Amino acid sequence: MPESVTPRRAELTIRADTWDARRAFAWLESAALAHRVPVEQIVRLDHCLDEALANVIKHGGPAALESPVQLQFDVRRSEGACTAELSVADAGTTFDPSTFTADKAPRPASLAAANPGGLGLVMIRNFSDDLSYCRSENRNHLTITVTWTEAP
Amino acid sequence: MAIRYEDVNEGVRRIFLSGRLDTAGSEQIAPEFAALTESAGRGVVVHLSDVKFLSSMGIRALIAGAKAQQAKGGRMVLHVAGNEVVARTLEATGIDELIPMFEDEEDAERALRS
Repeated sequence: MPESVTPRRAELTIRADTWDARRAFAWLESAALAHRVPVEQIVRLDHCLDEALANVIKHGGPAALESPVQLQFDVRRSEGACTAELSVADAGTTFDPSTFTADKAPRPASLAAANPGGLGLVMIRNFSDDLSYCRSENRNHLTITVTWTEAP
Repeated sequence: MAIRYEDVNEGVRRIFLSGRLDTAGSEQIAPEFAALTESAGRGVVVHLSDVKFLSSMGIRALIAGAKAQQAKGGRMVLHVAGNEVVARTLEATGIDELIPMFEDEEDAERALRS
């Protein structure tokens, strides 16, 4: 039986600042709901987007702040297997979050030893099903994937 | 994003957070939250049941507040009251192992007295 795939893409360009990031969350929620993405998956994507944009803004350097951030959102469905991909492209310092694994941020043994640094990457890892990254035309391209199943 | 508080008996302060604690929202409330945790008596219950979203910046504020309480011999606990989104975030980052998290308000305040 041929695979039934319905690609759906939404795009948005924002400034690299925390307040314009709010516009991105509204866009993501609207696009995801329009494509019948379950709320639980939207929450996961929302967390990943917030942390990805925070990384760009806080660690991307001047080039990141001076250039727009491009967002793309795709949903694909194939016989009950669903995939939502959120891509974030920025002009900041080269940084590949997909290489981050949980063992690079061991959990602190006590409150006194807790260092909040790196929590954003922990959250992206925990809330996504897959991360992919490439550097192209002097821009970071991070793709965050979440998956779920639906009754065919 | 909103923050309010009330002081109750035995030096316990309840801090109520609500809305979206994303990066922007967390930066907005962080100074007031820090001041409230530092000036509290010997215990703080942070109510998170009305928080719609909790980012790493929000968690950073919680950790700073808990450390401030610990430094003065006090304690901070979290009241999540069935907020699964926030509970999952706290568990995913392991923060629930550092700052005790309770479903029930009485249990949260009892923990401060123990």
